[in-house]
Amino acid sequence: MNAHPTPFAPRSRQRRLREGLVIAIFRAATYAVLLAGGGVFADILIKGSRTVFQAEAPFINTTFLFSAPESLHVFEWEGRRREMGDREFRAFREREPGAADVRAESFVYSAGGIWPCIAGTLLLVAGAMTLALAVGVSSAVYLSEYARDGRFIRFVRLAILNLAGVPSIVFGLFGFGMFVIFFGWNVSLLAGWFTLAFMVLPVVITASEEALKAVPQGLRAAALALGATRWQTIRTAVLPYALPGILTSSILGIARVAGETAPIMFTAAYVVRDRLPWEVERAVDFLFQGVMALPYHIYVVSSKIPQNEYTERVQYGTAFVFLLLVALVAAASILLRNRLRSRLRW
Amino acid sequence: MPAPDSRPHLLARRRLRFLGLTPDDAIRAFFGGNAVVAVIVLALISYFLVREGAGFFGQNRRNLEVYRLAGLEFVDHLRAQEEGHTALTRRLSELRLQAFDRLSRGGADAEAAERALVGFDAYADRFGVAIDPLRALGSELGDVATAIKTKFVVNEDRKEERRQLSAEGRTAEAERVEVMPIDFAAAVKPLLAARDRHREVNRALAAELTSLLVAAPAPPVPELRESLERFGAEVRAYVSELPAIERRLETWDQSRPVSLGEALRAFLFGRQWLTASFWQDWYGLLPLLTGSLLVAGVALILAVPLGVGAAIYVNQFASTREQRVVKPAIEFISAFPSVVLGFFGIAVLGEFLRQVSHVPWLDWVPGFPFSERLNVLTAGCLLALIAVPTIFTLAEDALNNVPRALPEASLALGASRLQTTLRIVFPAALSGIISAVLLGLGRVIGETMVVLLCAGNRIAIPDFTQGLGVMVEPVHTMTGIIAQEMGEVVRGSIHYRALFMVGLVLFLLSLGINFLAQRILRRYRLAPA
Repeated sequence: MNAHPTPFAPRSRQRRLREGLVIAIFRAATYAVLLAGGGVFADILIKGSRTVFQAEAPFINTTFLFSAPESLHVFEWEGRRREMGDREFRAFREREPGAADVRAESFVYSAGGIWPCIAGTLLLVAGAMTLALAVGVSSAVYLSEYARDGRFIRFVRLAILNLAGVPSIVFGLFGFGMFVIFFGWNVSLLAGWFTLAFMVLPVVITASEEALKAVPQGLRAAALALGATRWQTIRTAVLPYALPGILTSSILGIARVAGETAPIMFTAAYVVRDRLPWEVERAVDFLFQGVMALPYHIYVVSSKIPQNEYTERVQYGTAFVFLLLVALVAAASILLRNRLRSRLRW
Repeated sequence: MPAPDSRPHLLARRRLRFLGLTPDDAIRAFFGGNAVVAVIVLALISYFLVREGAGFFGQNRRNLEVYRLAGLEFVDHLRAQEEGHTALTRRLSELRLQAFDRLSRGGADAEAAERALVGFDAYADRFGVAIDPLRALGSELGDVATAIKTKFVVNEDRKEERRQLSAEGRTAEAERVEVMPIDFAAAVKPLLAARDRHREVNRALAAELTSLLVAAPAPPVPELRESLERFGAEVRAYVSELPAIERRLETWDQSRPVSLGEALRAFLFGRQWLTASFWQDWYGLLPLLTGSLLVAGVALILAVPLGVGAAIYVNQFASTREQRVVKPAIEFISAFPSVVLGFFGIAVLGEFLRQVSHVPWLDWVPGFPFSERLNVLTAGCLLALIAVPTIFTLAEDALNNVPRALPEASLALGASRLQTTLRIVFPAALSGIISAVLLGLGRVIGETMVVLLCAGNRIAIPDFTQGLGVMVEPVHTMTGIIAQEMGEVVRGSIHYRALFMVGLVLFLLSLGINFLAQRILRRYRLAPA
C-alpha cells in the first residue's frame, strides 16, 4: 500500500484488471467443477434414457424396470438380426422348425430388467436407515441434551469423527468378519443392514445433533421450569421441533447408504438370484437371504461383461435408474434442508 | 404434554424406582448407551480386523520357511543373475531401436539401415546367447526345487485330510492316508552340489562378456557412442557382481530360521503381491500402497486447486444468488455414487483421455500419448470429482469461521477485496483448509469402486524412472485388491488373512489422516474473536 499517497486513492486500472483476472480464475474453478459434475450426470441421463424410456405408450420401459435380468441372444434369422431374451429365445426355438441349431451370440444380464436389484436396494436402504436412525438419534439426544462436556464425551465425539473417516471397504471387511462369519449369518440382508447402518451412523448423529442444537434453549428452560423432567422436556419441547431437521438431514445419509457398493459386496449382495426377496418359505429366511442390489449390479455389468452396443443398454439403463434414485433423494434432502434453515429462524 | 391430572401438583410427584433407577435415569442410560455405540463399533472394527488378520504373520512365516527349505530361495538367487542379464539385453535392443531410428531419419531406407546394423546385431546375438548355460542350469535347479515344494504341499493336504477324518471319528481311514515326511536337507543336496557347476558357468560367462566388450563393434551411428560406453560400464558392473552371487549361494543356509520380524517386513516392505503362483506366493504391501498413494496424489493435485478455489470464490466473491445455486449443486455432486463414476470412467472418460493424449500438440505432456484406457490418470480424475465436494464444503466452512473483524479491519485500512481475501482471510482459515484437504485425502484413499473399475488393476510397483509419465500407468490399490480378491479366497487361508491385513493398514491410515486433520484444526484455530 506504500505506493499510494493515501489508502483511499483510487486504484490504477492495471491493478483492477489484475484483480478481476484473479477473481475470474477462482470463478472458473467453481464452474469447472459444476461442469464436470453436470457432464457426468448428463451423459448417464441421456444415454440411459434410451433404455428406460420408449416411444410408445406407456413411454416407460416396464420390462426393464419390472423384470429379472436375463441373457441376451443375438443371431441372424431369415436375413434379419434378431435379439431375444432367454425365455423368448427358448420359445422361439421350440416354435420355429430349424431354429434349434441356430448360432447365437450371448451376453449375460443384457436382456430383461433390473427389478430384483431395485427391490434389493430399497430393502437394504430401508432396514439400514431404520437401524441407523434409531441408534443415531438416540445418540445425538444424549450428546446434545444429557451430556456435559468432559473427557468421556470428548472421547465419544472423537470416535464419531473417526468412524466417519473409515473407508467403506473396511466396513465391508468388518461386516464380513463379524456378521457373516462370526455370527454365521452368511451373506444376508441382516448382515448388510448392520454393516450399512454402522457406516452411516456418524452422518446421522452429526445431522441430528445439529438439528437438536438448533432448537432454542428457551424452550427447554421453560419446560423444565414448569416441572417437567428431562425426558418430558425432550419429548415434548425439543424433539418435535428438531424432527424435521433430523429427517431431512438424514436423507443425505440415505443417499450415502444407497450409493455404496463396497460394504455390501461381501455382506449382502448376490451377483444373481432368481427369486425376489419376498418369495421365501419361512419368514426367518427373509432376513438371512442375500439380495441383488443396484450398485453391485452396475459393478458386475460394467466389469464382468464386454462393452458393446448390446450390453451398453443395460449398463447405461442401470446406471440411469440408480443415479436418478440417489440424485432425487439427495436433491430432496438438500432442498428441504435449505428451506428449513431459512424458515426456522428462532 | 400429558396433563398429570390425578396428582396434586407436578413437583411433589413420587418417582418410581427400578433397580435404584428412576425412569428418567433409565432413559438417560438408554440414550447414553446409544452414544457409546460409535466407540463400540470402532473397537469392534479393530478387533475383527486383527482377529481375522493376525494369523497372517504366522502363516507367512511358514510360507517363507518353506520357500527356504525347499530351496526356492536358492534358485531365486540364480534367477536374479539371469534377470540382470535380461535387463542388459533389453538395453541393447533399445539401443538398436534408437540407432535404426537415427539412421532412417538420416535418410537411409530400411534396407540400408538394416545393413548398417549387421555388425551390431551379431554382437547383440552373441551377448544374448551367452546366458544360455546359466539359464539351463537355473531351469534344471528350478525343477528340483519345485518338486520338493510340490511334495510338501501334497503332504500338507494329506495331513489336513487325516486331521479331518480323525476329527470325524473315522480313524481307520485316517490311518490309511499316507504322509511321507520330507527330509529337506537331503532333498536340496542336488542344489548344493550344483554350486561348482555354477561357478564354472559363471567363469565362462564372465570371460565371454569381457571378450565381447573388447570386440565391441563401432557404434552404427556416432550419437550412440556415449550410450554404448555406458552400456559397457553396466556390463562390467554386472560381471563384477557375479562373485557376490556365488558367495550368496555359498553361504546360503537352508536351516536358517525365519523370524516373525522377517515375515512382518516381507509384508510391509515386500515389493511383490503375487498369489496363486506355481513358484512362490508373495504378499508385499508396497505395490498396492504406492498405487493407492499415486492415484490419491493425482486426484488431490486436481481437486485441491478446484475445491479450494471454488470455496474461496463462493465464500468471498459470489453474489448471494450465485451462492444459493452453487453450494447445493456441489453438495449434490457429493451424492454421486462412486460405482456410477467408475462406470463412467470405463465407458467414456478412459477412451476420451486416451484420444486426448494422441492429439499431436499435447505431446509435451509427460506420458502422452498412452494406450491403456484405464490408468492412474483416469481414476485420479474421477476421484478428484469425489474429493472436490468434501474439500469445498469443509474449506468453505473454514473461510466462514474467520472472525468478521479481520476482513473488516483489512478493508478499512484500504486493502482491496482480493488482497483481503488472499492475505487476511485465507491465512486465517489455512488450518481449516489444510484439514479439509486431509479429509479429502482420506476420502480418496478409502474410495473403492472407482479405483477398482478404472485404475487398470496391474499389480506392480509403477515405474518411477519415467518421471511424471508414471501417472498414465495402470496400478492396483489397497481398496481395489480387497474388493477384487476377497470374494475368491478360501476362508482362513494365508491369502484371506493377507487381505485383512491390508484392510487393517487402510484402517490405521485413515485413522491417522483423520487424527492429523483434527490436530491441525485444533492446534492452529484462531481464538474466536
